Amino acid sequence: MALRVIVGIKWVPNTQAVRFDPKTGTLIREGVPSIVNPHDLDAVELALQLKERYGAKVTAISMAPPSAVKGLEHVIGMGVDDAILISDRVFAGSDTLATSYVIAQTLKRIGDFNLALFGQETIDSSTAHIPAQVAGWLELPYIYYVDRIEDLDLEQNVVTVRRILEDRLEWYKLKMPAILGVAMKSQKPRPVSIYNKLRVRMENPIKVWSNKELGLDPRCLGLKGSPTLVTKVTWTPEVPRKKQVIEGPPGEAVKKLVEKLCGEGVLPFEC
Amino acid sequence: MSAEEKISLAERRRQKKVDCDKLCPEWGCTQPYEYEGVWVVGEVEEHGITEPSLQMLTPARRIADKLETFVEGILLGSNKELLEKAAREMIYHGADRVRILASDELATYIPGVYGEAIARLAEARKPEIIFLAATMKGREIAPYVAGLLRAGITADCTQFEVDEETGDLLMIRPPFAAILLAYIKTPFRRPQIATARPNIFSLPPRDETREGEIVWENPGDYKLSKPPISLVKVEILKKSEVPIEKAEYIVSGGRGIGTKEGFKTLEELAEILGGVVAGSRKAVDLGLIPHERQVGQTGKSVRPKLYIAVGISGAAQHVIGIREAGLVVAINKDPEAPIFKNADYGIVADWREALPLLIEELRKLKEKHGKAG
Ligand SMILES: Cc1cc2nc3c(=O)[nH]c(=O)nc-3n(C[C@H](O)[C@H](O)[C@H](O)COP(=O)(O)OP(=O)(O)OC[C@H]3O[C@@H](n4cnc5c(N)ncnc54)[C@H](O)[C@@H]3O)c2cc1C
Ligand SMILES: Nc1ncnc2c1ncn2[C@@H]1O[C@H](COP(=O)(O)O)[C@@H](O)[C@H]1O
Repeated sequence: MALRVIVGIKWVPNTQAVRFDPKTGTLIREGVPSIVNPHDLDAVELALQLKERYGAKVTAISMAPPSAVKGLEHVIGMGVDDAILISDRVFAGSDTLATSYVIAQTLKRIGDFNLALFGQETIDSSTAHIPAQVAGWLELPYIYYVDRIEDLDLEQNVVTVRRILEDRLEWYKLKMPAILGVAMKSQKPRPVSIYNKLRVRMENPIKVWSNKELGLDPRCLGLKGSPTLVTKVTWTPEVPRKKQVIEGPPGEAVKKLVEKLCGEGVLPFEC
Repeated sequence: MSAEEKISLAERRRQKKVDCDKLCPEWGCTQPYEYEGVWVVGEVEEHGITEPSLQMLTPARRIADKLETFVEGILLGSNKELLEKAAREMIYHGADRVRILASDELATYIPGVYGEAIARLAEARKPEIIFLAATMKGREIAPYVAGLLRAGITADCTQFEVDEETGDLLMIRPPFAAILLAYIKTPFRRPQIATARPNIFSLPPRDETREGEIVWENPGDYKLSKPPISLVKVEILKKSEVPIEKAEYIVSGGRGIGTKEGFKTLEELAEILGGVVAGSRKAVDLGLIPHERQVGQTGKSVRPKLYIAVGISGAAQHVIGIREAGLVVAINKDPEAPIFKNADYGIVADWREALPLLIEELRKLKEKHGKAG
């Protein structure tokens, strides 16, 4: 049996390009291009390494509006074998629990996977919820912050991974199927190749699943299936600061600054 | 608020009723009035309970007092002595009661095992609210607990309030861009689960005379499944530097510093102050500092006595990480840089010119009086 790896990717607005209109107090998202969540490319890269090492078949999945086909084409361009776009109006407005439910049910329908890899977090919401919530729905073993697959034994169906915490490295052995959150910036995602890009045109490897295919209860989806509710959005209150800009040429300004710091009594030595 | 209103809030809270037919059948239907109390899940390491989890007792106490309910600490592990000590710390810092689940299965931290234990405890004891610190481990287990309980969860909150009408917890977090704050609630599902990053809340005062109850849960009541995952090896990384969240003096650099070489100058200044170097996300993106030294929304919140921002523009996502800093100093060559509106003292200058002068001034001072401090 061949190794089957699923990678979850999110189609997100490029937050670097989002501007803020201080007059209206709104985010200007118009014309902001969407991209594959950059941290998900680490997961894609790790999956592709498994393809090279163990001949894995790699399938990308994304729950998103139809425009996310572009993102799936991008990862197929990197070398992913095929992709499923999970897309339906009834999914709109989902919070992380509802999103994770749909992703979990998609994994169930795919059925025979060994590993599901996810990015550590997204740049637009950065909750880091989805991988663990999916594991919660499916009651599968999971671990976050993985930076390396040390060993994979298809016969025993176990995988040994290394994960990186602030002050330590830890190695875990997980029975598959298992869910892994991949540490951000842990890989060097490979570029898209023209050959792989061509495959998108020739082979049409992207399927679209709506709720017709998944057949999920609408009460579990979208706003209805989301226990959390955003009630309002306000400005962040400013922290009161003195806002004193010290004038003068650097030499003088620095002397004045040191005087101020002395006056405040914040220096670790007497003045 | 008058006493009458308080009573009616508590009343209203108990009258809340959910229409089970409208709920996702996968959730199982429970009523909000079945739930009571605010939980704080404590993270225990070799040395005892971690500071971030004690910090969560600050919002827990405040919200519990508003709801006229109690605060419970939740501790998991196998070393009873360590757990009992941790429980007392939670009580000294504001918990009314601490529930401890001690068993051999909990000897090593495995996210699935710890998450399941918390979920099983929550199913049995029905807390209204669960708070966890968004440490690396907290971020790992909190969503698993929410997934198992089919409950709502809000990550990285910066503030909590109570909805005066309904008694729902208002979980406040910056969505997307830190300039805005979203108010999120979970009107018809309990428990309400939320995390906050370390240092967003300060440590509550420690009072050794505070009394509270310690309840040892019977592990036999919580049949934990044995998930097929095990820890096989650990390697401690030697860290010479103080982590930025613990530092009293921080010299922080941004894209304006430009090179690793430039950061050496920041290190020099940090060393004189006995502090550490941190930076903006741009500095991380440029590979000038590691991500664990990033300040801000997707980095860390810091609370030094003095924060010196050099070559940092002061984007909202950065500034949110220094809300708790004592004094903020900015050095930037652009007089319009937003950092000056978020600083106490600012110098408009090229850091290449200003920083060596500052280093020299401070070194002179230190050499003169250094022994005193
Ligand atoms: C969802 C999201 C989350 C984010 N999270 C974070 C976060 O956690 N932390 C974070 O920091 N950012 C975060 N950002 C990024 C943030 O919006 C800014 O892009 C970033 O903080 C800018 O970094 P910077 O100030 O170093 O760079 P810039 O904005 O490029 O500023 C560089 C500054 O250096 C000054 N400068 C240049 N040369 C000199 C010189 N020789 N002498 C003196 N000054 C000089 C310039 O005048 C300028 O003000 C996030 C963004 C998003 C969308
Ligand atoms: N809509 C989605 N479709 C597929 N994968 C997703 C989706 N949302 C999040 N993920 C995955 O879950 C990870 C964590 O996302 P988040 O919990 O939103 O921070 C991401 O890095 C993705 O790998």
